[in-house]
Amino acid sequence: MMGLLPLIIWLIQDLLYLIVFPGLIVALILVIVLIYLERKIAAKVQMRFGPLYVSRKIGGALQSVADLLRFSFQEFIAPNGSDSLAFIMAPGLMFAFALMPLIFIPVGPYYSYLFPSALTILFSVALITVRPIYEIIVGWASDNKFSFIGSLREAFLVISYEIPMFLSVISMLIIYRTLNYMPAVAFQEAHLPGIILNPIAAIVFLIVAIRSTGRFPFDITEADSELVMGLFTEYTALFFGIGMATPYVELYVFSLIFSLLFLGGWSPLPYHATGLIAGLFLPGIVVIIKSFIVMTVLVFLRAVYPRYRVDQAIRAGWERIIYLSIIAVIISILEAMVIW
Amino acid sequence: MVDESRKLRGNVEGNARALAKAFKYLVEPNRMTLDYPAESMKLGPNYRGFFTVDDKKCIGCSMCEMICPPEAITMVPRIVSPTGETLPAEQGAKQEPGAKAAKKTKRPVVNWGRCIFCYFCFEICPVDAFIRSNVHDLAFYNDADYRPSYEEFLKLPEEPVKNSKKVIPKPDMKRGIKYEPAP
Repeated sequence: MMGLLPLIIWLIQDLLYLIVFPGLIVALILVIVLIYLERKIAAKVQMRFGPLYVSRKIGGALQSVADLLRFSFQEFIAPNGSDSLAFIMAPGLMFAFALMPLIFIPVGPYYSYLFPSALTILFSVALITVRPIYEIIVGWASDNKFSFIGSLREAFLVISYEIPMFLSVISMLIIYRTLNYMPAVAFQEAHLPGIILNPIAAIVFLIVAIRSTGRFPFDITEADSELVMGLFTEYTALFFGIGMATPYVELYVFSLIFSLLFLGGWSPLPYHATGLIAGLFLPGIVVIIKSFIVMTVLVFLRAVYPRYRVDQAIRAGWERIIYLSIIAVIISILEAMVIW
Repeated sequence: MVDESRKLRGNVEGNARALAKAFKYLVEPNRMTLDYPAESMKLGPNYRGFFTVDDKKCIGCSMCEMICPPEAITMVPRIVSPTGETLPAEQGAKQEPGAKAAKKTKRPVVNWGRCIFCYFCFEICPVDAFIRSNVHDLAFYNDADYRPSYEEFLKLPEEPVKNSKKVIPKPDMKRGIKYEPAP
């Protein structure tokens, strides 16, 4: 009986980690803020006003909330020809798998008590690669040519950009000599942030993050002017909202990984700290601020770049990015020989 | 090899320049869009907005109907009343059953769904009976509202947006267009 109470507290803390703090709720709040920021930034650069009418006094900041409400109360329609089970299940699973890597991403030293694991980098990066499967299922189940073309494009692009992603992560693993985020952050605290150790790996990882989350210039799978809404052409209501939010959640995951692997994690704060506040919340806030800056930079690209054609993106993946990632691995090997 | 390296340098340079330009616009935004209901353009004295006709001036010559390029103007039959204004043809017939035949005339009515606001009717009108206005931002709920009756057509529409700040556009070398408050 005495051993049960700590177990329950531990389980509740785990759940709160997944659902509240770096997990679902924070992710959704960040998504809402980020969608507003993206529209506003793009509008400013393109000489427009952006969202303004909902809550005019605070610059239209409630527009995303209004959109969310609208999606929540819309009628859900499944088209006649669709594979209804897959049509309904796939967006939810897609969202779940976009969110799931958060389990393996530590935002503070307290994490090693919550989820003791030595393979967190491996698990989190592996889980990222599951989402495209559900994107392809969405495109197939919709029974719509636009969705199907969108899912085919997603398949081509995933194949082209998965290898550079793994190579850029592996090149950091070669330097850190670990598969766990905690020693990686400790290494960066002791030496230099990863972005200085291997800038090419950082660039490749950022490009892959842009590609994987469908930001511009890789907005190919849901190219509005070609494919109506891409994968989510047939969706309405909350399911469409999920489809719209999923890339942003994935962007959050990518940015967290980037800030842990390349920006030194919770670096200004001490690496070792105990307790819930000093060990989880303060470092977590530092990591989330860093990743939010990364996210803002990535959505800022929307204002600058036009869309790649799908063949251009694939060619860039196989002819440029993959060489860059191999160069990153070679740099890492040389550095590791010097350091270790 | 030299070509490739030059191309790469050009790519990097071009991307950096584009990003820098976008960042500059982000920091000091250069808005071309008018924040419409809050501020609206001050229109000139010859702006071609919605218009109407002066019932007393019009002589019913049908020149406007003839010149109208999209055939938006139709002439409706009217009867001249003793006060000089016109009445609907049927009403006039009822009012004076036994009296001497009332003077028949015609008056123009515009179908706003067809009108292209070319103002040819203004130019051809021999008595300058048309009255212009600056109102251009009207909306209609359905197709029937596009086709007013003659009585409705006689009322000059009011400006739908009230209390908006009036501005005038000024060309600007640095910013393209600048909106200045109207005097």
